[in-house]
Amino acid sequence: MTLTAATDAPALPHPELVAAIPRLRRYARVLTGDASRADDLVQDTLARAWEKRRLWRSGSDLRAWLFTIMHNVHVNQLALARRDAANVSIDADPGNLAWQLPVRANQLDRIELFELIQQIGRLAPEQREVLLLASVEELRYDEIAGVLSIPIGTVMSRLSRGRDKLRRLLAEPSSALRVVK
Amino acid sequence: MNTSIPTPISEADVHAYVDGQLAPARSVHVETALAADPALGERVAAMRIQNAALRDALDPVLLEPIPEQLLAAATSPTQRIAATRRWLAPVFAAAATLVIGVAVGWFVRDALIERAGTPTTFARQVAFAHALYAADVNRPVEVWAIDEKRLVAWLTKRLGFQVHAPDLNGVGYALVGGRLVAGNEKPTALFMYENADKQRLSLQVRKQPAGTDETAFRYAVENGVGVFYWIDDICGYAISGNLDRAQLLKIAHVVYGQLAAAESVPPK
Repeated sequence: MTLTAATDAPALPHPELVAAIPRLRRYARVLTGDASRADDLVQDTLARAWEKRRLWRSGSDLRAWLFTIMHNVHVNQLALARRDAANVSIDADPGNLAWQLPVRANQLDRIELFELIQQIGRLAPEQREVLLLASVEELRYDEIAGVLSIPIGTVMSRLSRGRDKLRRLLAEPSSALRVVK
Repeated sequence: MNTSIPTPISEADVHAYVDGQLAPARSVHVETALAADPALGERVAAMRIQNAALRDALDPVLLEPIPEQLLAAATSPTQRIAATRRWLAPVFAAAATLVIGVAVGWFVRDALIERAGTPTTFARQVAFAHALYAADVNRPVEVWAIDEKRLVAWLTKRLGFQVHAPDLNGVGYALVGGRLVAGNEKPTALFMYENADKQRLSLQVRKQPAGTDETAFRYAVENGVGVFYWIDDICGYAISGNLDRAQLLKIAHVVYGQLAAAESVPPK
């Protein structure tokens, strides 16, 4: 019985793929600003990874490879969506992000987190991507350049601008919270 | 070989230092510069705090249970679900189909939500109760604020845990009183507040059905009523009124702060 021989394509390492899911979901949630659409994106990313499994070099960083696929799938989906934007608005709405995230039991200042998450949603998408890949996913800058297909200099300038912008947004006196405090 | 004079540290060096991506030799230069330049030191500290805050905000997603279909998609080749096509499907369909599709979609969604007892149902119920009682000029509550102590004791007994009526005078709203509202499984306590313009808002509290997850602050508008709600431990809280989001959030902040303070005091 050699049923496996019928599928000549190499298999991806399941445990590593499963282990990558939580991080893919987190990044997708920020990209789409919507929990269920984020999971659709993760599912599409995993399916695409299986389709392209021959392109994955065993031993290389699976996580960075998966982020690359996710970025491409997302960009394609946005392009398709934009083509039909006149008919229906399905663009990501990161303004919703704060309501798409769970909160741990003992997070003390969840209102500050709420503010922070809302402001992440206000960053330019390209700044948000770089900032999250560097700060939260802790990818190396050269890996980020690979994931987003941009030069490393662009990674650095987007990171710098994204950080400054987020800091300024959080310092804005217009925030409802600061009125109360 | 002459001793190389280090090139001045660049913006990229600073970021790499903060993200732990700078070569050790180069890090030494950055540390020297930090020691000499307090403004740079502050900036680096702020960047580190921002990194930590971002992780703090987003890490909870990692703890969520992984949906079955994602596990399946990770362990073997599956069909892409063509999410894009699914979103766009109604666009290509006839208008009538779209209407039916949306209606059926919402019906199914609501049915699922009702069963799951998710916060969305909570928001809807809260908005409904608020609209019903806030509009009742003469009898918005069962027990008036003058009997606040009794009101709180009664609602505490009916809900089965200690409830509190936050003091919202600081944001211009006085307690009118409270009542018990029928929830889907458990009773809900409603506290009604009113400002000088006779505008009313309500705080509703209930014990969540078992198995509901905690949520961050969520905002919903149901039939024109804005609702800010959150689930904390076993309790769901919701602030609702005909206010805009910023105003409601401000009040939600006050309520949350007072409830958190009250919880940290052991019950007498």
